Amino acid sequence: MKGTTEAIRAERVVKTFGTITALAGVSMHVSWGETLGILGDNGAGKSTLIKILTGYHQPDSGQVFVDGRSVELASVDDARALGIECVYQDLALVNGLSIYHNMFLNRELLRRGPLRLLDHREMRRRASEALAEIGVDIPSVEVEVGALSGGQRQAIAVARAVYSKARILLLDEPLAAMGAREARLIIELVERLRARGDIAIVMIAHNYAQTLEICDRVVLMQHGEITFESTAAATSAEELLEIVRREYRAVRAG
Amino acid sequence: MVDEIKQPAIPRRGVVKGLYDFLLRPEASVIVVSAALVIYFELANQNFLTNANVQTLSQFVAAPVIIACGEIMLLICREIDLSVGQVFALAPFLMENVHDFGLPVPLAIFAALAACALIGLIIGLITIGLSVPSFITTLGMLFLITGLTLTISRGYPASTAGGPLLTGIMGVWAYSEIIWALIIVAIMHIVLRHTRWGLHTVAIGGNIIAAAEAGISINRIKIGNFVLTSTLGGLTGLLEAFRVGSIDPLAGGSNIMFLGVASGVIGGTAIAGGAGTIIGGLVGGIMLGVLQDGFTLQGINAFTFDIVIGVAILVAMIANIHLARLRGGSRA
Repeated sequence: MKGTTEAIRAERVVKTFGTITALAGVSMHVSWGETLGILGDNGAGKSTLIKILTGYHQPDSGQVFVDGRSVELASVDDARALGIECVYQDLALVNGLSIYHNMFLNRELLRRGPLRLLDHREMRRRASEALAEIGVDIPSVEVEVGALSGGQRQAIAVARAVYSKARILLLDEPLAAMGAREARLIIELVERLRARGDIAIVMIAHNYAQTLEICDRVVLMQHGEITFESTAAATSAEELLEIVRREYRAVRAG
Repeated sequence: MVDEIKQPAIPRRGVVKGLYDFLLRPEASVIVVSAALVIYFELANQNFLTNANVQTLSQFVAAPVIIACGEIMLLICREIDLSVGQVFALAPFLMENVHDFGLPVPLAIFAALAACALIGLIIGLITIGLSVPSFITTLGMLFLITGLTLTISRGYPASTAGGPLLTGIMGVWAYSEIIWALIIVAIMHIVLRHTRWGLHTVAIGGNIIAAAEAGISINRIKIGNFVLTSTLGGLTGLLEAFRVGSIDPLAGGSNIMFLGVASGVIGGTAIAGGAGTIIGGLVGGIMLGVLQDGFTLQGINAFTFDIVIGVAILVAMIANIHLARLRGGSRA
């Protein structure tokens, strides 16, 4: 059943950069089929947490579990091998290449034979299928990525991660700098992925209302710690704002 | 949200669409201009389309086009080789020296090409390993290789060896050089469009971070393209030497390098990387050849000739960059 089996868990993760403590003992978890939103100001440690889960950074102490087993994510490849993929804000797309070339970048399908030529037709077919399967509507996979809107580009990046067998999908501010209609495209995509029930999604976000709409659960990070956690249904944007305001007042008073 | 997808403006079907698609291709404007030039030169001078002149024209075209094949690969992945014209001059002397040591000519050709490949490897290793911009690395190599060629040749021209069959294939037969060029164009077109190597070259030039994140080995591709460019430069030098029958230490040089780069850029290769076609390099080379040959037939004064060629190259390049913008792509 959805939300019952744990996909990934971090236990008391600490990460310091020189004298700065980015993460002061963070514990979090996400289940299969669940979407977790991580909220917080710049410098709260959201990105550091994500980068530890993708194997980009290694924690000073603490542990990460995938499927209930303790894992060591020494590199991005380690994390990928476990099905952890992150869609970063820069999206890692090549504008001058078509959608299907981007979806198969460095995982190209080749025709049979000694010449090892690209199988454009098969890549087009599979890219169209993969996009249709998760409900991304694009006129043609031959369109250059540079000709797409921000939301469409984001959708392609997410589709690529899903197609490459991502089971734990980390989204770094997928709705940043996106208009309402564009954001809608992504929100619906995330909802469809969640409905599949076999993918765990962690997304960093700024917009409280949108995050509460997409996610099953949210955590609020402040100064490298998780200071608040709730199911989306049990909290509101007002409550989250109030917590952050209280924090500001405390800082100013202190 | 199907209705939100922005559809690019799709023109009518049939002939109009076909024409529209053709004109959208970066090479299209160059083909149109080249055709216009051919018509002009034929009208102005009845000898333009004679067999003898087409042969001359093919010789003007072949060398820059082969050089362009390498430079286009480098430009697409945001590198350049300024020294390819000097490798062009060096290769025949290497061949002759190895031949003088007793190696048969075919083996001497391979030895010379291997040495050119090695030069490309050195350029690549310095550029990538020491993070020197290739503009600087190859500027240094330009002088270094000139010095090397002058030292090996002692500044004197030499003549090529080899039997009639070999020299025929390597350039003496009327159309052998252009046939070489067309074969290389065909191969490089397939490499660029239909192999992982080509696709990764484009990806590196388009977004190097994305390419790295996808796990593409950027250094291998870039160094490989330097090796390719130097080797093609050496091959062109050998072909020209066999065709002319003598080896000139000052052959090729920056002139042939610029013609190669200009062919590529006129044909739509982006100086900023990430976009370009080999076919574009071929039509760019043809246009430059038509200009050179046409003006030569017209008997234009050599000084004026360079001015006209310079202006023509500038106009073609500017037109290309602005047409690219009109096409609405991000390539420039």
